[in-house]
Amino acid sequence: MPLLSAIMACPLIALGIVLCVPATAVRLIRWTCALSALAAGVLSLHLWHSYDTVAGGMQFVERISWVPSAGISYHLGVDGFSTILVMLNSIVFFTGVLTMWDLEHRVKGFFAFMLMFVIGVYGVFLSLDLFFFYFFYEIAVVPMYPLVLIWGSGNKEYAAMKLTLFLLAGSALLFPGLLAIYHAAGLNSFDMTLLAAHPFDPEFQVFVYPFIFLGFGVLAGMFPVHGWSPTGHVAAPSAVSMLHAGVLMKLGAFGILSVGIRILPAGAVYWAPVFAVLASIGIVYGAFVAMRQTDFKFVIGFSSVSHMGIVVLGLNLAVLGQAGVDALNGAVFQMFAHGVMTALFFSIVGFIYDRSHSKTIADFGGLGSQMPRAVSVFIVAGLCGAGLPGLASFWAEMLVSLAALKTYPMMGVAIIGGLVLTAVYILRVFIQAFFGPPNPRWQGLRQVDLAGWVIVPRALLIGVLVILGFMPRLILDMINGTTIALVENLARLEDLNLLGKF
Amino acid sequence: MLASVNTLSIVFGTIFAPLAAFLIAILFLMRSPRLAQAIVLAGAALSVTGSIALLLRGPVEPLRFLWFASGDIQLRFGFLLDGTSLMFGVAVTVITLCVMVYSLGYMSHDPAKSRYFALLGFFAWSMLSFVYAVDLLQAFIFWELIGLSSFFLIGFWYEKPSAANAARKAFLMTRIGDVGLFIGILLILQYFGDFDIPGLLNADSGLVSAVAPATLTAILLLIFVGIVGKSAQFPLHTWLPDAMEGPTPVSALLHSATMVAAGVFLMARLHPLFMADETARTVVICVAAFTALLAATMAMVDRDIKKVLAYSSISQLGFMLMALAAGSLFAGVFHLITHAFFKALLFLCSGLYIHHLATNDLEEIGRRGGRRMRFTTVGLVIGGGALAGIPPLSGFFSKEEIFAQLGHDGFTLFTGAAFAAAFLTAYYTFRMVFLVVRPAGGDCGDLNDAQPATDGGHGGRAEPWSMVTPVVFLTFAAAFAGFYGTDIAAGLGLSPAHHTLASALPAVGVVLFGVAIAWLDFGRSNARRRGFIAAVPALQTLFVNQWFVDAFYRAVVVRSTGALATLMHWTEAKVLDSGFDRLALTILEWGKRATRVQSGWVQFYGGCAVLLFGTLALCLYLDVGIGGG
Amino acid sequence: MTLQTYLLLGLILFSLGLYCVLSRRNLIGVLIGVELMMNAASLNFMAFNRYSVNDPATGQVVVLIIIGLAAAEVAIFLSIILNLYRNRRAIDVEELRELRG
Repeated sequence: MPLLSAIMACPLIALGIVLCVPATAVRLIRWTCALSALAAGVLSLHLWHSYDTVAGGMQFVERISWVPSAGISYHLGVDGFSTILVMLNSIVFFTGVLTMWDLEHRVKGFFAFMLMFVIGVYGVFLSLDLFFFYFFYEIAVVPMYPLVLIWGSGNKEYAAMKLTLFLLAGSALLFPGLLAIYHAAGLNSFDMTLLAAHPFDPEFQVFVYPFIFLGFGVLAGMFPVHGWSPTGHVAAPSAVSMLHAGVLMKLGAFGILSVGIRILPAGAVYWAPVFAVLASIGIVYGAFVAMRQTDFKFVIGFSSVSHMGIVVLGLNLAVLGQAGVDALNGAVFQMFAHGVMTALFFSIVGFIYDRSHSKTIADFGGLGSQMPRAVSVFIVAGLCGAGLPGLASFWAEMLVSLAALKTYPMMGVAIIGGLVLTAVYILRVFIQAFFGPPNPRWQGLRQVDLAGWVIVPRALLIGVLVILGFMPRLILDMINGTTIALVENLARLEDLNLLGKF
Repeated sequence: MLASVNTLSIVFGTIFAPLAAFLIAILFLMRSPRLAQAIVLAGAALSVTGSIALLLRGPVEPLRFLWFASGDIQLRFGFLLDGTSLMFGVAVTVITLCVMVYSLGYMSHDPAKSRYFALLGFFAWSMLSFVYAVDLLQAFIFWELIGLSSFFLIGFWYEKPSAANAARKAFLMTRIGDVGLFIGILLILQYFGDFDIPGLLNADSGLVSAVAPATLTAILLLIFVGIVGKSAQFPLHTWLPDAMEGPTPVSALLHSATMVAAGVFLMARLHPLFMADETARTVVICVAAFTALLAATMAMVDRDIKKVLAYSSISQLGFMLMALAAGSLFAGVFHLITHAFFKALLFLCSGLYIHHLATNDLEEIGRRGGRRMRFTTVGLVIGGGALAGIPPLSGFFSKEEIFAQLGHDGFTLFTGAAFAAAFLTAYYTFRMVFLVVRPAGGDCGDLNDAQPATDGGHGGRAEPWSMVTPVVFLTFAAAFAGFYGTDIAAGLGLSPAHHTLASALPAVGVVLFGVAIAWLDFGRSNARRRGFIAAVPALQTLFVNQWFVDAFYRAVVVRSTGALATLMHWTEAKVLDSGFDRLALTILEWGKRATRVQSGWVQFYGGCAVLLFGTLALCLYLDVGIGGG
Repeated sequence: MTLQTYLLLGLILFSLGLYCVLSRRNLIGVLIGVELMMNAASLNFMAFNRYSVNDPATGQVVVLIIIGLAAAEVAIFLSIILNLYRNRRAIDVEELRELRG
C-alpha cells in the first residue's frame, strides 16, 4: 500500500475497530489507539527519512479519480512542509493517547472522535485536491464539539458551542472562496498543483484572498478572531487541548500557506502588510493578556495565540520579498516547535489537574517541592515558549525576527521585545505556582508525581524540543528546500509589479 | 603520549565533561548525593586538566562545523582557541573546581545537594562553551544558557519567596539586555551575512569594512546593551545585589568571577570592532565610569557582607569596561582575570563567616569573633588588599594598567573618575575588613555558637578542610597573579605599558588615602564606626537606598507593564470576547423572534397560503416572469 | 345565463367560504367554509365544462372526484374534531395552538 494512504489507514482501521467493539472493552480500545498511533508514528518517521530533500517537490504522490465530471480526485502527496507536519501530528497523536490513558468515562466515544479528528488532520496535510482538503478540514473540526462538550471541564457547553461556531464561521468564509477559485480557474479540476500553476487574474486574487486568509486565520488563532481558542483550550480535556493547540491551529496556518499563498500569490503579496501588522499585534497582545490570567490553561491558551502570531507573521513576511526564505523557514519551524511545546504544556497541566483537581494558579504555591518532576517538565516547556536557545522555538523566533528586522524593522523590535513579555508571564506562573513555601493543601501530591511509564509521553516531547534545539538541521534542511522553491516562484511576481501596492 | 591527543578531543573533553556529569546527575543521581558530587567534581577536574593542556599548547586555528543552513545563511559552531579564551578558560575551570570543592563543605547539610551540583555542572558546560565559542550565535546561545543556570542557582532555595523573586528579577533584567544583544547580532547577520568571529574581526574583510559607520555604531550599542544587562552595569544593575539570595559559592562563581564577566569577555572578544567606532567607545566608557562610581557609593554604606561584595563586582566590572573602551585589551583582560581570583576569594571567605557565624551582617561577624577564623581572615585581608589595589598584590598591577591606559589617550575626565572610584574601593574594602577584624568592644562570641541566618548557620568546625583549601589556594592566586602580567600580555599578543615607579605613585597614593580614611572611621580603637558620608545625610540616604533605582523601576516599569496587561485583558474580556458573544446572542434573539411566525394558529397559515397563491396567480396573469416567462 | 354569471356566482361562493375559513372560531364553521369553497370550485368546473370545453365528460369527472375528496376530507376532519373535543372539551381555534414555535 502506498505510504501516505498507509499513514491515513492506521487511525482509520483503529476507528473501525473501536466502533465495532463493545463500549466495555476499554483496554482493547486504548491499546488499539496506542498501537495505531505508534504505527502511524513509525510510518511518518519512515516518510521523513525517505523524503528526498535534494529532489524536492511533491513526492509519494497517489491519485485516484473520484468524481471525474467535477474534477475531484483522491490525490495525496507531500513536500517538505507536509512531511514535517505529518510527523508533528503523529507525535501529538501518540502522546495524546498516552496522556488520556486513565480516562474512564465513555472511553469508546472519546477515542472514536479523537481518531476521527486525527484522520481529518492527516488528510488535510496530505491532500493535493482542494475538495478533499476542505472535506478533511471539516472532519477535523467537527469532532471538537462532542469532545469538548462531553469530556471537557468547567464551562464546557459554552466553550464547545463557541469553538464550533467560530470555526464553522471561518469555514463559511472559506467555502465561497474555494468555489470561486474553482470556477475562475476554469480547469474543471480541484487539483491543487494545477490550480497553483494557473495564473489567476490579479484583481480576482486580491478580492478572494481575504476570504481564504481570514477563513483559515480563524483556525490559526489570528488576532482578532482568536477568541474561541483560549476558551476552547481551557474547557477541553488534556489530549484534546494538545491536539487542538498542537495540531488544529497548524491546519489554519497550513491552509494559508497551501491555498492562500500557493494558489493566490498576488493576493497574498497585496494583503501581506495589513495581515503582518495584525499578526504582530497578536504576538504582543497575547503575551500581555496572558499576564493577567488566573488559570494555567488560559495562560497557555493566550501564549498559543501569541506564538501562532509568529507563524502567521512569518507567512506574511514570506511573500514580501526581502527575507522571504527566512520568514517562511521560521514560520514552518515554529509550527512544528510550537506544536510540540504546547502539547507538552497541556500534557503536564492535565497531569497536575488530574492529581489535584485545580487549574487555578493561585491555589498552588511551592508545588516545586511537592511535585518536582512535573514542575520541571512545565518549566522546560515554559522556557521553550520564552524562546530560550537550546530549545526548538529559539530557531523559529530567530528566523522570523531576522526576517522582520529586514522588512519592517520596528515590527522586528516589537517581536523581540515580545520575548521579554513571554518571560514575564511565564515566570509569573513559576513564582506563583511552583516556587515559594509549599501549600499544605497539596501534601499528598508527592506520592503521585510523574513516575514510571507516565513519564514517556512527556519525555518524548521534551526530547524532541531539546534535540531540535541543538540540531535544527533535522527538519530545517527539509523545510529549507521547499521554501526556496516556493520563494523563487513568488519572485516571478515581481514582473506583475504588485509588491507593496497596498 | 599526551602530545599525540589531538586538540579537538581535548576541547571536547574540557567542555562536555561537565555536561555529561550534569546529565548523569540530573537523570539518575538525584537520590545519591555523594555520587552526584563525585561525578560533577570529576567532570570539573577533567575540565581543569583540559583547559590547562590547551593553554600550554597555545593558540591554534579555529575549529568549525556546519550547524545549519537557511536560505543562503550558513551557521557554524566551533571553537576559537586564542589567547583570550585559553587564559580565561583556565581561570573559569580552576575557579569552578575551587567553588565545587568549597561547596562540599558549604552545602553538606543541604538536602538538595544533588540538584545543586548538577546545576553547577550545567553552568560549567555553558560557560566553557561560551568562552570557547567561535561563532557569535553560538556565543549568544550559551550566553542565554549561562543566564538560565544563574536563574536556577539564584533560586536554588526556591521555597524562599525572596530567592524566587531574585531569580526572576535576574532573568528578566538580563533578558532585557539580551534583547539588545539579539537585535545587534541579527543586524550583523543582515549586513554582514555571517556570525564567524574571526571573520568579523578581520581588519580587511570584516564587519568594519562591510557596513556604514552609523550601522556599526548601532550594532555595537545594541551589543553593549546586552553587556550592560549581563555585567550588571547601570541601569540594569539592580539584579546583582538581589542575586545574593543564592548560596554563597554560587555568588562566588557566577556573580563575581565568571557569569557577569561574560559581558566583559564579549567586549574583549569584539574589541577591534569597538576600537573602530568612537561613539560606541564614548558611550561605553561613560556608562562604565558612572557605574563604577555608583556601585562604589552603594558598597560603602551597606552592612551585608555579600551585598558589599556584589556592589564591588559591579564597580570592578565598570573598571574593566572602562579599560577596554579606553583602548587596552590587555588592561581589561588582566583585570578580568585578577578580579576573578580575588573576588571569588572574598566571596568564599564571606561564605565561611556566614556558614559558621550564621549572619551576613558585618558588625555581627566582627562581634561573633570572625577574626578568630584565621585562614578566612587572612584570605579576607589579602583579597581585600588585591581589590583595593595595594602593591604587590595582583589587583595593584591590573589596576595600574587601567590607569595607565586611561591616562594615555587623553580621557582625563575618566581618569579622575577612576581615581575617585579607586579611592572609594579602597575605602569600602577596608571598612569591611576593619569591621570584621576590629569589632566594636572586642568580639564576644563563642566560635561554636550557631543560629540560622540567610544561608543557615551550622555547628561544627569553623573552617573545615573542604572550604579552607580553596580559600588558601585563591589567597595565593590573588597575591601572586599580578606577576604574570607579562605572560598574559604575551598570550594576547600585546605588550604591557611600561611603568615607572613614578607613574604608579598617584594610584597608590589614592588607595592608601582610602585605607587611611577607612582606618579612621572603623579601624581605630575609638573610631566612630559611622562612615564619613554620614556627615552628609542626604547622600547617606541616597546611597543606602541604592539611589532609588529599584524603587523607580517598581513604580514605573512594573506598574506600566501591569497597566498595559490589564488594558489588554479588559479589551479581551469586555470587547472582543463579549463582542462575539453578543453577536451570537443577537442572532439567537432574532431566531426567537422569527419563531413567532409559527403561531400555531391554523387560520393564519391558511391566510398566508391564500395570499401566496393569489400573488402567484396575479403574476401569471400579468405575465411577470417567474422562471422562463 | 352566460359563463360570466356562473363564474361570478362561483366567485361569491368561494369568497364566502374563504371568509368562513379564516374568521370562524368554531372548527365546524371552518369545515362548512371548506365545503363551500369546494362547491364553488365544482361550480366553476361545470360552468367551463358547459361553455368552453369540447368533451363534456371532463368537467363532470373532475366534479365527481371533488365530491369524493370532500367526503373523505370531511370524514377525517370530523374525526379529528371529535378527538379534540373528547380530550380538551374545546373546539375553539384560538385555543388549539400547541404547534407553535
